[in-house]
Amino acid sequence: MRAYSADLYRFAYWLCRDRHVAEDLVQDACLRAWKSWLELRDIALARAWLMTIVRNEYARGFARKRNETTLDEIDEAQLPSIPSFEAGLETAQIVALLPETYREPLLLQVLGGFSCAEIAGMLGTSEGAVMTRLTRARQALRQQYTDSIHRRTGR
Amino acid sequence: MSCLDFRREKLAEPRRRLSEVAQAHMDGCPACAAFAREVDDSERALDRALQTPVPEGLADRIIFRSRRPRPAWRVWALAASIVLSIALGFFLGVSRNAPDVYARLAIEHVVMEPESLSTVRNADPEAFRAAVRSFGGSMNELPGKIRYIRLCPVEDGFGWHIVFETPDGSLATLILVPGKRMPRIETASAGGWSALARPIRGGYYAIVAPTAAATSSFDKMLRERVAWDA
Repeated sequence: MRAYSADLYRFAYWLCRDRHVAEDLVQDACLRAWKSWLELRDIALARAWLMTIVRNEYARGFARKRNETTLDEIDEAQLPSIPSFEAGLETAQIVALLPETYREPLLLQVLGGFSCAEIAGMLGTSEGAVMTRLTRARQALRQQYTDSIHRRTGR
Repeated sequence: MSCLDFRREKLAEPRRRLSEVAQAHMDGCPACAAFAREVDDSERALDRALQTPVPEGLADRIIFRSRRPRPAWRVWALAASIVLSIALGFFLGVSRNAPDVYARLAIEHVVMEPESLSTVRNADPEAFRAAVRSFGGSMNELPGKIRYIRLCPVEDGFGWHIVFETPDGSLATLILVPGKRMPRIETASAGGWSALARPIRGGYYAIVAPTAAATSSFDKMLRERVAWDA
């Protein structure tokens, strides 16, 4: 648990963006994991298993709106309306602005180090859908990054 | 492999080794090689951004809690936070139907984000200039020294939260809210704060300062230095 607590906390934080709620989420998830430890068949999968529990805890308690739709129903074009706010945004704020359907796979990939196939398994969707979401999330990030470089260099 | 296919692969899994065919494409395509370098740079920025500090002793608390039920003080803390929220609502008296709702919401925003007054964050004049531009305005001169800029959740979306140090050394908060139409200028006072909300072309802005005189003075300076209907 010690080995994973930092990654779990950061994942929880970027899901809910509240440090107190994030800690509660991680604690609740770990408590749940503790009780069902015997269900974990392969210790090598512990990290993915724990992150999935954190995600489920978040979905259960803090994101009831998710239940109104499934991941695959979401319009791929629903990236945040960044253009009117593009300048001055920090990477962290762009991440926070990403719709959950894009933010989740990005966090799982960056913080968890999982592949598209693994993320697809965790989110219960197809690998192709995960790739599309990651591509679009990074397009938004890349746009912000190049804009900020241009602002700094005055080009 | 086409450039489009290469870029899709790079954007989807930038931290993995490129496939042989993608590597071969990049070796022969300077534009895609430059694209890959840009993606790698933004990945490093992403890594830095996501490294939120982890609370000290988190692992110990997790292990401790796994052996004991949630202590009563946490329940009391939760109850206290609910009481505080309700009290704050009473204190500020923010009602959606009030004639000064936007001014009061601005005060509430400042009260709920006190760190904005003690933190220097993203204090980039160019970011402010760009925010003004996104409202269809243009800035002639800064209305003070910028100390804090953050994109914050506001009603129905996001707005800019900016804190200025004014020429007389006091702090004034400016909240820019896009898209929201308000019919007239509003003023409000609550909890030792004074606010003024004014409609502009792309939405409205609200100023929050310790006194009505300070709010009015900053509003005057802001209108002199920024052309909101440029």
